[in-house]
Amino acid sequence: MIIPCPFCGPRDLSEFAYCGDADNLAARPDPAASDQSSWNAFVYDRTNPAGDHAEIWQHAGGCRRHLRIVRNTVTHAISDVTMPGAKA
Amino acid sequence: MTSHRCAEGGTAIDRTDTVGFTVDGRQYFGLAGDTLASALLANGVRVMGRSFKYHRPRGLMAFGVDEPNALFTVTTDGVREPNVRATEIEIFDGLAVESQNRWPSLDNDLMAINQLGGKALAAGFYYKTFMGPVIGPLKGTRFWMMCEHVIRRAAGLGRPGTAPDKSRYERINAFCDVLVIGGGLAGLKQAHEAAETGRHVIVCELEPRWGGAADGKKESEIRQIVESLESRPNVTLLTRTTVWGWYDGNMLAATERVSDHLKTAPEGAPRQRHWVIRAEHVALATGALERPIVFPGNDRPGVMLADAGRRYTETFGVLPGQHLAVFANNDSAYATAAALRHAGANVRAIVDVRPEIGAAAQRLADRAGGALKLGHAVVGTSGAKGLKSISVARYNHETRSFSGGAEEIETDCLLVSGGWSPVVHLASQAGANPVWDDALQAFLPPKPDAHWSVHGAAAGDLDFDHDLSPAPAPVFEIGHPGKAFVDFQHDVTADDVRLAHREGFRSVEHLKRYTTLGMATDQGKTSNVPGLAIMADALGKPIPDVGTTRFRPPYTAASLGSIAAERYGDLFPHRLTPMHDWHGDHGARMYAAGHWERPESYNRPGETVEQAYVREAKTVRSGAGLVDVSTLGKIDIQGPDAADFLNRVYTNGFAKLPVNKARYGLMLREDGFAMDDGTTWRLAENRFLITTTTANAGKVMSHLELCLDVHWPDMRVHVTSVTDQWAGAAIAGPKSRDVLAACVTGTDVGNDALPFMGIVHGAVSGVPVMICRLSFSGELAYEVYCGAHHGTHVWEALMAAGEPFAIAPYGLEALGTLRIEKGHVTAAEIDGRTTARDLHLDWMLSSKKPFVGSAMMNREGLTDQSRWTLVGVVSRSGEKLHGGSHVVAGDRDGPGPGLGHLTAMAFSPEINAYVGLALVEDGGNRIGQHLYATDPVRSGTHIPIEIVSQHMVDPKGERMHG
Amino acid sequence: MAEPFVSTPVITDAAESPLAGHYEQGEFGNLDRGARVTLTERFALAICDVCAWPGSETKAANAIKRASGASVTKTKDAIAEDAQAFQHAPGRWSVVAQNPALPEALAKAVGENGTVVDLSHGRTVLRIDGRQSRRALSKLFPIDFRSDAFPLEKGLATRHHEIFAQIQRVGEDAFDIIVFRSYARAFWHALRKASEEVGYAVA
Repeated sequence: MIIPCPFCGPRDLSEFAYCGDADNLAARPDPAASDQSSWNAFVYDRTNPAGDHAEIWQHAGGCRRHLRIVRNTVTHAISDVTMPGAKA
Repeated sequence: MTSHRCAEGGTAIDRTDTVGFTVDGRQYFGLAGDTLASALLANGVRVMGRSFKYHRPRGLMAFGVDEPNALFTVTTDGVREPNVRATEIEIFDGLAVESQNRWPSLDNDLMAINQLGGKALAAGFYYKTFMGPVIGPLKGTRFWMMCEHVIRRAAGLGRPGTAPDKSRYERINAFCDVLVIGGGLAGLKQAHEAAETGRHVIVCELEPRWGGAADGKKESEIRQIVESLESRPNVTLLTRTTVWGWYDGNMLAATERVSDHLKTAPEGAPRQRHWVIRAEHVALATGALERPIVFPGNDRPGVMLADAGRRYTETFGVLPGQHLAVFANNDSAYATAAALRHAGANVRAIVDVRPEIGAAAQRLADRAGGALKLGHAVVGTSGAKGLKSISVARYNHETRSFSGGAEEIETDCLLVSGGWSPVVHLASQAGANPVWDDALQAFLPPKPDAHWSVHGAAAGDLDFDHDLSPAPAPVFEIGHPGKAFVDFQHDVTADDVRLAHREGFRSVEHLKRYTTLGMATDQGKTSNVPGLAIMADALGKPIPDVGTTRFRPPYTAASLGSIAAERYGDLFPHRLTPMHDWHGDHGARMYAAGHWERPESYNRPGETVEQAYVREAKTVRSGAGLVDVSTLGKIDIQGPDAADFLNRVYTNGFAKLPVNKARYGLMLREDGFAMDDGTTWRLAENRFLITTTTANAGKVMSHLELCLDVHWPDMRVHVTSVTDQWAGAAIAGPKSRDVLAACVTGTDVGNDALPFMGIVHGAVSGVPVMICRLSFSGELAYEVYCGAHHGTHVWEALMAAGEPFAIAPYGLEALGTLRIEKGHVTAAEIDGRTTARDLHLDWMLSSKKPFVGSAMMNREGLTDQSRWTLVGVVSRSGEKLHGGSHVVAGDRDGPGPGLGHLTAMAFSPEINAYVGLALVEDGGNRIGQHLYATDPVRSGTHIPIEIVSQHMVDPKGERMHG
Repeated sequence: MAEPFVSTPVITDAAESPLAGHYEQGEFGNLDRGARVTLTERFALAICDVCAWPGSETKAANAIKRASGASVTKTKDAIAEDAQAFQHAPGRWSVVAQNPALPEALAKAVGENGTVVDLSHGRTVLRIDGRQSRRALSKLFPIDFRSDAFPLEKGLATRHHEIFAQIQRVGEDAFDIIVFRSYARAFWHALRKASEEVGYAVA
């Protein structure tokens, strides 16, 4: 698989590390205020779609930035890559 | 033995260069350029293998990667490579191979007795005989276990060896605009066209020569294109290179056999090179493979694919037989018959299932000579160790009926052509399902997209010249009594396929698994389509409705060595600390901790590891010891929000940590379990240095980066790995301050200037150092950090300063002993299943702020009283404990219920006993209990222990605060 | 408030290369067509990581130019006579220079626009030069080294298995490879092995 890193360009899968479900990671509950059920959902509940799936991958063997990648879990086709937190 | 070499011809061979090789120790000679197959054929050898189940003698059937029978084991310096096709072994002086699956010899195989039990060994024999409930001694799985040993010996292919492979392999990455797979005429033309436009082209051909099936036919055209390609800087030409895998994103895997064909590899050259090619566009020109016809006796040595016969003649100048017969359902074999007649063979007969043929084929039949038997089929063969004659009967392929008696025709070689199958394997791997073509009676690749294209015979463009028709009659099997093989390598017959159908196997995937059709090392290159056709026939469905199985990598077997490449042997990357060589020079036994090489103990002459580490630990407790802690993960954390950031990721607070002070810190995971511990040094208001355990350095770094990238992108914090920037030496023991006082300049190291957890900057032997007073051993101790390039310089200065105090270096074992005595945890206890409370680190859980893990750490299951908690254990019998032992109730005679396990053990010189740390159910309430450490599988020990507090030495910490 | 800067210039008399004892000069491998690449360790350089705060990338790039002489911009990497710099992650540069005072100079120039970390001891710089340098490098990295894909002065981050590496093209056929010090010896042997096929000289 080749992942098109927005900064480094297309790179080999071996440079990347999977970090989890992007939509889930984006929904981290407020640690001070939120109830237990939202934390349970954050830590344990995952969708498992056959099709497009938003994922966080770290370009660990490259720019080391975390990328939000929309990947089709059936075909491995990548339809979108963005860099969360990029403000430049 | 008569030579079967023609007087002339052979594009690949050098008639002036004789090459000697051995098969099963027997000497043979061939010509430079020969394959093992062509050389043996030239030597008149007919039996080249024994079949998988029945041990039937088998001869050469094909010319290349599709050869199912002639498999040999290549032996090189005691290393065995089994199941190599004779068609792909290029001979060289001294080549040694062994034949396979025969006993005692290929010519006289006593295992051939299996043939007499033919019916019993039909499809599913093993399942039926051996699966199911164990009833009585001769049924079911128990019976299998009895028989397995014998069966495994009798059935099978080559035997692998146990000697380590000393060959060298390497990997290489390549990028190109166009990857052309197949160096036949179609591929070469495609490459030329792409190269003309300036694109970067790689062409891979699995044979040693260019031209593929056109070799011997269109020499000058091939040479012209190859020469033109060779002259271009934008073209890379690779022969002996098989592209065997096509993965996502047009990434392809190939094996280049760099020096398999050479007696010795050139300097610096590997045996094989594993190519990983990323191509913008893949042009498939993989050609087509000729199919056999399934008929009784079709596996007798001497029965060969027609075009293979032509290629042995034209490429190697070897006639496959003197008196040939041809059996075909299509026109292509007629050209072959004419060509072989031209090369000097006598063509006895051409047998064709079709009642009539076109004018072009008729002209070639006339040229070939011999009887033309249209509307006939071969219904049997005879000859003990090779073909002597065939039986031919009148056959109507539409009604599948025979008429009249069978006629015997004497022949020593039957050339068979059952049509052609385009090589669609790679396209299928890439995810495209092949499409059935009724005219060609074959699967074709589907419609390509922008990322790939297909050319020549692989696209179904079967150009046979002479105006021959590419369309065969739809005949795959001659349904006449007798053993007719579909899969030669796995001994699957047409009757086996029908039996599978009768027993209810309807899906082609199930059929494949039940009969093992197409599952041998050739992956069914010759058998898939005939097998499918017979299955479709049994189901009464057209072939495309039955479907084909998905092809998977590899197209041909790839050696594991080439894939492992530099990961195997001396290039495995070890991580070394700056003082690595010093340790080696001073007797250290090195220990691989992950990728790091760390000193285990510095053994003096005659010392065991245990004697060494006990001595080293005593030295630390009584004087001073020096240990290399450079492997600790170190992360530089900077920015206006650095303190706030640390507050969020650590369980304890850092906002109020003063500059030049350090603090012990604990990180949890989001789920509330412990992740890692370490120390955090505040170097400046907005700058921290944190340390992690050696094992978790990478994990912690990625965790911090994830938090900053994804969770808190607005925080102004930068994190940088500085693990390798600093050499770390921990000096520990009551004399450690004296040692530092003797060598540190530029700063006071007394208790006031450098209190517990204080940091000072100074110099040792003219080199700047940063010293933090903290302790893992429980003694008065300091960590001295300096620039890594200065590591050995500072280490040696510390050793010199410590000499009057009898300082000694200590290794991981002593470090482990000291920390076990103190109950300090490492990754062995922070194992992903333990909480802060389990490890008695709950004093570090701040209640004043949220942090990663704080929301989840108080869940019911994580606060349960019965959780496994950290305790110390002491061996009551004086026996040595074993790490990983179960902690159990019970008595001296045997274990009772399991209560936990030992995470670490050592001999404690302070306690004068073997001690350990353990995670034990409800451990806090078991102090003083007598339990057992049992290790039934590895050491077979069952040792009485007492549960004690994990603080076994100096529980109040007076020594390190002193 | 002025903060003490943590930097430790390499003191030649006290410093030891991680390749010590493993850096044999001469020509090796297949020398049928001579040594077609040259391998060099560039020891005792000043190496820094500069990371700009979001929005301050241009200021940080200018600061690198002022402090080192390597004329990087927000989008362009650069080589100067005795310094080089490249952006290996968004807003993040590696700067390598002969000048041992580089860390201080950078810290001063970058100021509030970002952070500077001295890695002079933590990284090892190796250079491979010669017509076959791309061939050797291709055995180690899944990177497209073709001239148009990897132009002069460009730098990037990648890895050889677990060995994190930064590579900058410093000449027609010359590349500098920056690896972690602890892996330097292992990588050095891997680089030598990869170069055997084309013959190599150790300068």
